This record gives sequence, structure tokens and C-alpha cells, in this order.
Amino acid sequence: MLRYVLIVILIIPSFYCMVLLLDKSFKPIFLNYAFAQSEDIKKTFGGYLPGYKAKDTTGDVLDPMSQVILLENAPIDPEKYLREFNYGRMSVDSNGTITREFTIIASDHQMKEISPGIYYNLWTFNGTSPGPTIRATEGDIVKIKFINNGSKFHTIHFHGIHQAKMDGVFEGIGPGGTYTYEFIAEPYGVFPYHCHIQPLEEHISHGLYGVYIVDPKSPREPADEMVMVMNGFDTDFDTENNFYAVNSIPYYYMHHPIQIKQDQLIRIYLVNMLEFDPINNFHLHANMYYLYRSGTMPNPDEYTDMVTMSQAERGILEFTYKFPGKYMFHAHKTEFAEKGWMGVFLVTEGDTDQFTDTNIIDQNINSSLSTNEKIQNQNLNQISMNTGVEN
Amino acid sequence: MEEYKKINKDKKRVNTFSFGKKIIFGLIPFIALTGMIIFLLSPTGHHLISSGISLPEITFEKIEFEDDIIVAYIRNTGPEEVTISQADVNDRIHAAAIEPSSILSRLSTAKVIIPFSWNPAEPYEIGITVDDGTRFSKIAEAAAPAPKPNIEKVSLFAIIGIYVGIIPVMIGMLWFPFIRRLKIGTYKFFLSITVGLLVFLGIEALLEANGISTTNLAEVLGGQMLIILITIISFILLSYIANKLINRSETNIKDNKKKKNFDSMKENTNEGEFIHKSTQERDRSSSPYLSTSDNTISSVIPTKDMLLKPLALSLMISVGIGLHNLGEGLAIGSAILLGEIALSTFLIIGFTIHNTTEGLAIVAPLSKGGKLRIRKLMIFGLIAGGPTIIGAWIGGFIYSPIATVIFLSIGAGAIFQVAYSIFTWLSGYSGHKNIFTDKSITLGFIVGMSIMYVTGLLL
Repeated sequence: MLRYVLIVILIIPSFYCMVLLLDKSFKPIFLNYAFAQSEDIKKTFGGYLPGYKAKDTTGDVLDPMSQVILLENAPIDPEKYLREFNYGRMSVDSNGTITREFTIIASDHQMKEISPGIYYNLWTFNGTSPGPTIRATEGDIVKIKFINNGSKFHTIHFHGIHQAKMDGVFEGIGPGGTYTYEFIAEPYGVFPYHCHIQPLEEHISHGLYGVYIVDPKSPREPADEMVMVMNGFDTDFDTENNFYAVNSIPYYYMHHPIQIKQDQLIRIYLVNMLEFDPINNFHLHANMYYLYRSGTMPNPDEYTDMVTMSQAERGILEFTYKFPGKYMFHAHKTEFAEKGWMGVFLVTEGDTDQFTDTNIIDQNINSSLSTNEKIQNQNLNQISMNTGVEN
Repeated sequence: MEEYKKINKDKKRVNTFSFGKKIIFGLIPFIALTGMIIFLLSPTGHHLISSGISLPEITFEKIEFEDDIIVAYIRNTGPEEVTISQADVNDRIHAAAIEPSSILSRLSTAKVIIPFSWNPAEPYEIGITVDDGTRFSKIAEAAAPAPKPNIEKVSLFAIIGIYVGIIPVMIGMLWFPFIRRLKIGTYKFFLSITVGLLVFLGIEALLEANGISTTNLAEVLGGQMLIILITIISFILLSYIANKLINRSETNIKDNKKKKNFDSMKENTNEGEFIHKSTQERDRSSSPYLSTSDNTISSVIPTKDMLLKPLALSLMISVGIGLHNLGEGLAIGSAILLGEIALSTFLIIGFTIHNTTEGLAIVAPLSKGGKLRIRKLMIFGLIAGGPTIIGAWIGGFIYSPIATVIFLSIGAGAIFQVAYSIFTWLSGYSGHKNIFTDKSITLGFIVGMSIMYVTGLLL
């Protein structure tokens, strides 16, 4: 009997050893202590959020939110894209009409690092997603030479008013093909452009979109202008986005705050190109903005800190910061925020730059009165517009 | 003659040369195989055979909740090396660290540490995203702090083990005097109840192991095949050991026969304490040596095999159930650890009732064997119930799914071996080759299985 028990007792440790060989994480407690003091260099992670202590690790840190990591092969330079507007090659004819020529090349086979360590086959216009921001003035002739450098059919479908054959829907451009889209920039406002080949969902979610701005003939007030495209990426193709961002790179503006000046008028051309999720939104901290839906009307629709948009909805946001400091902006769909769609404005004191018009600032700071006035004006304006259309 | 010599010489040469050559000839296939593998791993070979896209695969083996930290143990179970890029809790990206490295070679493991102030008893889904954007996740049903092995926790697990393992088995053993008095038909019925219980326990262990291997073990580790392998090994090995044990005791008894006969009176008074205390005179009749009645158990002419086997059989049952209870303890310990069950009085009661039947299983064969000391019964009870405590400790403090699967499979093999032994033993009684031609055995088996199912519903 004793021998029997002994044999059983011996079998158990031998299986235990087998387990140890198979499973490194299955470590007896006393071994844990033996291995705890490693000579590896310790790195600190976490701790930047209130309530979370910084921790040390001998391994690697995975932290896209606070770690400033230079992406090897980013889909875009968000710093550059933010304030970059392309006016095209300009030519003026005898009548004084301006023609703006652009070239846009589509591609669908570039592996880009869309978030630290995450690679995704991004489809791009001119090598970036979002594509270049195209800007013209109302009445200009816009000519876009489209070259399809991809392996699938692609087009560019511009929002705005134009002829049917310039709509980029039925004239699919095959691999290696070219097409010239030509139309008069109208009306003024902010518009998306995107590929319109089916499956539309695939072509849009892979990154084939950009922003097209038409300025009114009488220019808007000078301001520090920027473009923000709210987007996301479904990296595992389950028709749910894994990453959300403004201007493609999750958390980018968290560790690279957007530098703005106190009392400076800020104008954001905001476009929602998020696929799969029905809505997206933009919330600004410690401030309110004038919202011009689609940017097609002279007066704002709302004075708010929160706008919700479905896909291809867009607007112009105007605001100034009264106090210096760090202010967040993010989707107030917290899921999107916590998957990358958040950023920070760093408001600094000092001279407002060349855009500033003191009158405009005064107008904006006298908030409540001017708001009511503006909305009233807008209502009146809408009525007049409606009658205009009818006539 | 010369020719014959020559042939002999040749033969000799072959024999003398053969040692060195043997090694060489033995090694040639290995060398060829190594060469082939090297070629296949080289860029040229790799290019030739690899086609298609290999998808990454990550398995979560364990999730632990510590003070303001969630720790996930992951394993790269895909075909290629993979880089872990980001971690999330409930599908929301969080800062994390991965040890030892974010690059996981095939089958290697890593520990993902996510600072997160979790709430007890709430479910959390832990996810990681690899470099190609694929996300893998696993849900912990209810967050509970990982038990640290302090005296309080060790004793808590020990108490749980005693309640769930030892006490019920001891209670079940109290059926001993009852079973002793049974007629042969009823006795067979009860013994086959035991078989039913054991078969049920064995299947239960296999299902449990299968559940763990499918949810916590990667396909690449072949969890299900591992269960079958270990169960069969356990069955065969224990059968072998049991036969050795029985053979040895047979020879021992042969040697001691004279001595035993000489001391038989003494033994009856001293070693048969239990019988005297509990059953007194009436029970004398059930002793296989003394009985003449046709209806009692002892009416069957006691062969040598039958006299020797009961004790060995009971011990085997104890060990089998002990191994099973080790698995059960592991399951309880790890369930508490993984936050999958809340430890409630009701659960303990359920286990207690369920396990009482195990005590019955141990004493059933003994009741035929005559002399028995209460100390022996206690030892059997400890062998059967004690491992629950050890299992709870292992499961609670150093949980490993693969260890649990292995232990459960050993337990299943042991249980099946015991069931098989009792069945063969019973067939000696029934005199039939096919045991299910016996009414009481058939009925007992069905009842045994059903009892386990019904008491199992309490869990």
C-alpha cells in the first residue's frame, strides 16, 4: 500500500514538471521571487491619468495615448494636414474667372502605421488619408485630374453642385485610368469628397476621402483656420471601428497639442467621414463655438459646445479662448474618445497673430447678446433664401 | 569447409563492424531529416512551400485582478511571430505594459499589465490588438482579487477542501454497517451504484477538462487530444500498478498464511474492532469464513481473489476519487480565482451532498472483506478527500489551465480504471460474462448515474 501511495506521489510531480515545461506562466510562487529582480532596464508607464499610479515594467510599454511615438509610415502628418490648404495651379482668363487645377492620384496598396504598432492597408488620395484639402472660391473653375494608380476601380465624388458626368459615380476609373473632373465651385461651404465605387463602405472606410472647401466671394473673417476630419479604422474587418481619430491618427493631438493663441479667432472646417458608426460628434471643453452647418450660410445655426453628425455631415466651428491653458476636445461618444478620438488645444497668452481683427474678437466675446442676434439674423436670412429659391 | 569458414568470417565481420555502423545507419535518417528541415526553413525553401496568408492567433490563458491592475496572461498560438501593439479593457484603449516583450515568438507567453481601477464582481473584457490590427479578447465573468497565499487564504481554502472533500466522504462511509448487512442481490445493486457514480464522475471530469481546454487553451496545444492521451495513460498506468499491488499482496498472504492461521483468533479480536463495535454478533454471520446462509454476501464461495481484492479495490477507489477530487479542488480554487463563482453556502452544501456518494463508493467493496480497522477507513477517507484541499490551493494560488486539464484527465483515467475494476470484480459475483444481464447491477448502474446527475443539479 505504501509503495502504491509513493508511486502516486511521484507521478504528480512528474506531471507538474511537464506542465512547467509547457507553460512558463505556471510558476510556483517561490520561483517568482527568484526571478523578480531582473537586471533589465525599467520603464515607467501609466500614471498620467488622475487616480492611476505610474508603474514600472521590465517589458515593453503599450501606450498610444501618452507615449510620443513617431509613426514609421504614418497615413498623414496631422501637424501639417491641420493647417494645409491646396489652392491648385491658378490661371485667370480674360473675364477674370480663376481656374484651379489639381492632380489627385488614388492608391489602394499601402501599408501604413495608423496607430503605434498597428499596420493597415490604407487607400489614399495623393498618398494620404484624408486626401489633400482642396480649396477654391465660389465661382472658380475647379479642374481635377484624377489618376487611378490602384488595383481596383476608383472615382472621386465631390459634394456640391455640378453636372451629372462630373459626379464620379457612373464613370468608374479602372486601374491606370485617368479622368478630369471639372466644375464651377458652388455653393460656398465645406464639403467632403470621396471615392464612390461599390462596395462604398469598403472604399470609404479604407481611407479614400478628403475635404473640399469653397470660400464665399466676400471672404470670411480672418482666423486661425484648420481642417479636422473625424474618421476611424476597422483594422480587423468586423464592420466595427477599432480606432477613432480626428485626422487619422488616434490620440495624436493629445501628445501633440494644437497650439493656439488666447483671444485668437479659431475656425475649424469639420467633416465627419466615419464609417460603420451612425453618428460622431465634436465636443469642445471650457468653451462654446458658433456652428455653421455645412458652412453654406452666412450666419451660425447654433452656439454650442457639442455637435453630432452622421457620415458626410460637416460644419464650420468658430470660437476663441478667453483663458490660457490646456483644453480637451473629443467625441462625446465616450467610446470613440477612449479609442483615440481626443485631442488638446494648448492656448497660450501673448500677441494674437496677423489673422486677428479686434472687432471680431469683441463681437465674439460679447457672447450672449451677439449669439441671439446672430441666430435671429440667420432665421431672417433663411426666410429670404427660401423665397429666393421659389422665385 | 573453407567456404563455410569464409561465410562465418563474413558474418563475423558484419557483426564486428555493425556497432559503429549501427550508429551511423541509425543517424543517417536523422541527418537527412535535419538537412530537409534546414532547407525548408531557409529563404529558398520557405519561399517554395509557403503560400497564402498566415493569420495571427492569441490565446488568453488567465486574467488576474490585483490592486488597480488587471493582468492578462497571453500566448501566441498562431503560426508566426507576432507583435502586440495595444491593449484595451472593455474595448477601450488603455496604457499597458507587456512583459517580457511585445514581440511573441510562436507559442511563447507574455504578461499584459493594465493599470485599471476595476470594480469587484463586474465583468471585464480584456483585449489586445496585434500589429496587423486584429483584436483578441477574453471576458472575465466577475472581477475578484487574485488570492494571495497568506495564512488566512490558505486556511480558507483548506476549510473549503475539508467541507467539500473530506467530511462528505467520511459521512458517506457511515453506510458501511448498512451495506454489510445487505443480501447479495442488494449488495451488487449498491456496488453497481458505485460504478454508476464513478462513471458519471469520470465523464464529468472529462467534460470539465474539455471545457477548460476549449476556452482557456489554444487549439495548437491540442487540449482535447491531451485529455484523451492523459486519461488513457492514467487508466493503463493505474491498472498496471493495481495489478502489481494485488499480485504482491497475494504472494505476501501466501507466505503469511501459516502465521495468519495461527494468529486468526487474535486478529478477530484486535483487528476486527470496527466490526465488533458496530455490528457485533449479527455480523459474524456475514464474515465469509463463518457464514453458511445462502442469502448473505458470504454465500458466494470465497475464492482467494475475492478475499484479497476488497481492500485493494477500496484503496484504488480512494486513490481514484482522490485524484478526481484533486481536479475538483483545482476547479473550485480556480473558479474562485477567476471570479467565475461566488463562494456561497449553497455551493458548499451542493458539493457536500454530491461528494457523500464518494464515501459510499469506497466502503462498498469493503463490506464483503471481513476484518477492517476504523483507522484504515479514515486513511481511505483522507486519500479520497484530502486532495481537494491540495487542489484548491494549487487552483487558487497558481492556477494554470493546462495543469487543470492534466489533473482532471488523470482523475478521469483513475476513475474509469476503478469503475472497470469493480465491474470485473462484480462479474465474478454475477457469474455472467455480460454484466448487464444481471438485473440488480443494471439497475444499480442507472441509479448511480442518476443520483450523481440529481445531486449535481444542486451545484
